[in-house]
Amino acid sequence: MAKDTKKVVLDVNDLHVSFDTYAGEVKAVRGVTFTLHEGEVLAIVGESGCGKSVTAQTVMKLNPMPPARIPQGEVHLGEHDIVKASEKEMQTLRGKEVSMIFQDPMTCLNPTKPVGKQIVEAIRHHRKLSTAEAKAEAIKYLKMVNIPNAEERAKQYPHEFSGGMRQRAMIAMALSCNPKVLIADEPTTALDVTIQAQIMDLLAEIKEETDTAIILITHDLGVVAGMADRVAVMYAGKIVETGSVEDIFYRNAHPYTQALLKSLPSVDADKTERLVSIAGTPPDLLNPPHGCGFAARCKRCMKICQEEQPPEFTVGEGHVASCWLLHPDCPSPEERGEKDVD
Amino acid sequence: MSTKSNEVLLSLEDICKYFKVSGGTLKAVDHVSFEIHKGETMGLVGESGCGKSTLGRVAMGIYPPTSGKLSYKGKAVNLKHGSDRFNYSKVAQIIFQDPYASLDPRMTVSSIIEEGMVIHNMYDEKRRKERVYELLEMVGLNREHANRFPHEFSGGQRQRIGIARALAIEPEFIVCDEPISALDVSIQSQVINLLSDLQDRLGLTYLFIAHDLNIVKYISDRIAVMYLGNVVELASSDELYKNTLHPYSKALLSAVPIPDPNEEAQKKRIIISGDVPSPINTPKGCNFAGRCPQVCDQCKESKPKLQEITPGHFVACHLVQPQKK
Ligand SMILES: Nc1ncnc2c1ncn2[C@@H]1O[C@H](COP(=O)(O)OP(=O)(O)OP(=O)(O)O)[C@@H](O)[C@H]1O
Ligand SMILES: Nc1ncnc2c1ncn2[C@@H]1O[C@H](COP(=O)(O)OP(=O)(O)OP(=O)(O)O)[C@@H](O)[C@H]1O
Ligand code: SF4
Ligand code: SF4
Ligand SMILES: [Mg+2]
Ligand SMILES: [Mg+2]
Repeated sequence: MAKDTKKVVLDVNDLHVSFDTYAGEVKAVRGVTFTLHEGEVLAIVGESGCGKSVTAQTVMKLNPMPPARIPQGEVHLGEHDIVKASEKEMQTLRGKEVSMIFQDPMTCLNPTKPVGKQIVEAIRHHRKLSTAEAKAEAIKYLKMVNIPNAEERAKQYPHEFSGGMRQRAMIAMALSCNPKVLIADEPTTALDVTIQAQIMDLLAEIKEETDTAIILITHDLGVVAGMADRVAVMYAGKIVETGSVEDIFYRNAHPYTQALLKSLPSVDADKTERLVSIAGTPPDLLNPPHGCGFAARCKRCMKICQEEQPPEFTVGEGHVASCWLLHPDCPSPEERGEKDVD
Repeated sequence: MSTKSNEVLLSLEDICKYFKVSGGTLKAVDHVSFEIHKGETMGLVGESGCGKSTLGRVAMGIYPPTSGKLSYKGKAVNLKHGSDRFNYSKVAQIIFQDPYASLDPRMTVSSIIEEGMVIHNMYDEKRRKERVYELLEMVGLNREHANRFPHEFSGGQRQRIGIARALAIEPEFIVCDEPISALDVSIQSQVINLLSDLQDRLGLTYLFIAHDLNIVKYISDRIAVMYLGNVVELASSDELYKNTLHPYSKALLSAVPIPDPNEEAQKKRIIISGDVPSPINTPKGCNFAGRCPQVCDQCKESKPKLQEITPGHFVACHLVQPQKK
């Protein structure tokens, strides 16, 4: 894949996001760095509560500030500096440069307006088109997401759509202004597998046809395996490993990635077997640990892990992980006296 | 997991749940009957909008059925009767599908979890507080979370608050409406192990609704597949996976994504085109006829009935008939 020749559309560098709550500062995102290229699907996976949605929302500046704030870091969307952008600038960027689809489509569909009308309004907000032209565009996108009878359906209200259709209508709206980046935060969590498969096919088509870059946030590693080009694994507010989808599934290097993949129930798991899960709980982000965020649960934790945050080490081309085990001076498992850690 | 016995705990007899909507009558659940045994896990799967949550709410006593009978331990539950409803809410609990809408934003996590214990007059205040901490830890949160508000949590964290709330009053029967779909796989496993342990220890019975078919297969003793308000296939979970008979179930199982990039690239899926017909004007014939790859003339004329094809394996499809000896 000639990823390097493709343009970088989103560049996130050392992003920190905190929430000021009465209990103190919740450090939800603690130094996230990644780039996204044209036509690429980057999946973000990781423990529930690790900061995936907050990261995505920050790219669109959707989290209310306060209580949220960005103490540190940069987000560049093409030429636009998101951290510095005013709300007014953001309004012109949202939809046109970056769009988001959510787990719950009703967070962006208005229940009191026909679906078609909402898409027309979104289009006219960003593109200089007459109402008739915008209408034609809206129907084109509804057809593209496989809404049958698009002309008739466009006149209906969101509650007259099934869950899967609403999801597709939201995707149509998100795409109607040709965004360069599409962020999908658990787009299929609420859908059954047949509709999920349709929506994933649709996203793959869109990516092929329009070169839109997609950030896909999901817990479903099957969806990741089928869709993603690259995967970023997050834990406690940081990306701990990034690589191609094959790197992450077959050549993973970070103990958290390894533990996550081991937790998958196998297709023929026996009911008497217990499912594997990672013992312990993630750190409280009010008081994040000094060292590695995963240290308290890591079976291979060493002294240094508790004291200092592991830097990023290169595992292979385009494959990096933040774990002290990858330090060139780190003793081998035998030298550390480890037996089988599993 | 299973502590299955022969005692019928919950029985649904010819349950219908219709909603009056502007376009007519919406048949969310249409003539559904099955029994759940004590200590059993009954899985419920099917297309979005096919009526799983509605059926779960009927079983839980939130929605009175339009017609049909709900019985618990052999006694009819009359939900119009206040005391029946109150008593039933002590034994039956639900973990809601939507972690965003189901928690009162003005209540702290601690008061959300404690509420049911207060209503049912369980324990003294000190013990209730201790139980809140125990429950939080049980679901993989920590006690520092007790005094925070729902909006301060991620989707998966909220889901676990809902689980802790349902477990708080020590119910006998729990409707789990997609309790794990918003969770990462490790916490999914943790929650499933927790539900299994509680079942082993306390003999709990579950109606388990989910989209993740691998998990449903793992956790369930039996599975019912629904399509547009009807149960179209019902069998033990091994049987359903080994010997899938209904065309919709086949399509559903073939669409399960495989967490392995190479296998996923080679997988063959049965693609069903078309949309689910509206539950307001259901077709005269089989509800699946408009999308079924095996549709024949008869399918458009008459509705197939749920029949026992082999012992314990029920299917509603004209093409699948019991073997006559
Ligand atoms: N408004 C808020 N106030 C305080 N803390 C918050 C707020 N919003 C989010 N958080 C915290 O930030 C962290 C990251 O939340 P985020 O929603 O990004 O998680 P996530 O990775 O998307 O999880 P999930 O997979 O469960 O959706 C969580 O620990 C959460 O408790
Ligand atoms: N209170 C209500 N009023 C009107 N219609 C309703 C109501 N509740 C549910 N419905 C309709 O009943 C049908 C079944 O909905 P239900 O929520 O039970 O589906 P589900 O199988 O749980 O779907 P999902 O997998 O998307 O959660 C849908 O067509 C829905 O629109
Ligand atoms: S840095 Fe240490 S604690 Fe962290 S993942 Fe690596 S080995 Fe485990
Ligand atoms: S009855 Fe006919 S349409 Fe319905 S599932 Fe069977 S073959 Fe398909
Ligand atoms: Mg999230
Ligand atoms: Mg539901």
